[in-house]
Amino acid sequence: MVVFALFVISKSGGLIYNREFHAGMQKLGSNDLLMLAGSFHGMHAITKQLCPNPPVPPSPSSTPAANLAPSPFTHRPTGIEVLETSQFRMQCFQTITGIKFLLFTEPQQPNIDPIIKKIYELYADFVMKNPFYTVEMPIRCEKFDRGLDGFIKLRG
Amino acid sequence: MVLYSFYIFDRHTECIYSRRWTPTPTPTRPSSSSSKAARPPSTASTVSSSPTAAAAARAKAVDDEKLIFGLVFSLRNMVHKLGGTDDTFLSCRTAEYKLHYYETPTRMKFVMLTDTKLNNLRPYLHQIWANLYVEYVVKNPLAPVEHPGGIGVANELFERALELFVSTALPA
Repeated sequence: MVVFALFVISKSGGLIYNREFHAGMQKLGSNDLLMLAGSFHGMHAITKQLCPNPPVPPSPSSTPAANLAPSPFTHRPTGIEVLETSQFRMQCFQTITGIKFLLFTEPQQPNIDPIIKKIYELYADFVMKNPFYTVEMPIRCEKFDRGLDGFIKLRG
Repeated sequence: MVLYSFYIFDRHTECIYSRRWTPTPTPTRPSSSSSKAARPPSTASTVSSSPTAAAAARAKAVDDEKLIFGLVFSLRNMVHKLGGTDDTFLSCRTAEYKLHYYETPTRMKFVMLTDTKLNNLRPYLHQIWANLYVEYVVKNPLAPVEHPGGIGVANELFERALELFVSTALPA
């Protein structure tokens, strides 16, 4: 398994974390990376709008959890989830608070969802619970770095 | 398997052919923020006269064409930046649809939107270019070299061949 890189994009489109695990993608300066993150943020919003068939919200009677309170989150189309190119595959996971995790892997990499969920877990544990971290700011948490390293190396 | 739409863009960023297989969205649907201008006045949701609805649908279609072009253009640039210039953008997927992309050496872009279950349609888009577009549009002596506004692309032979190709090579 080869994981090339991880980007984290804040809800306003700023790049707050980028990390390269494995060589194989172009080396880019931090300005280029920031620009890419910003434009990806825009493209993500466009793909949401282009949805050719608006998803129908599940009818309340058919779901088993009908007696629960209605979800406060309206059902809206998601943006880009997977981008495939001849040299890499990018998986995007957007949390409900709008933070995007972009994971770049080999083109034929299966089972990325659990990896990205685990990375989200690490983020929640080591970044969000860090009292010195302010939201929307670049992530500089050593424990998060180490946790990622350990996890990605373990999987590879 | 569902096909939603198909677009051809020329090298001047213009959409020279578009084809939709989805029914046009009804104006009563609560639309997203961008289509405020296209939305009929408040009470007109049920009594909207058909010309305005048709015009709104047409405006939405033109907007979609521009958005799709902008999207594939920026995605292609992003892919070139990240993967090097010999990397090619193949497809992108959201939870609702998948966008397949093929670019000819002359920078014409073929884009198809389908549901998410399909594998990459790049070979099929190549077929459409090589066997349909070249045969019926490029080799047509009456069609101009460039196609400003889509002149000469949507001729009967091409339309019919595309319909046949889609129904045989990509059966529903």
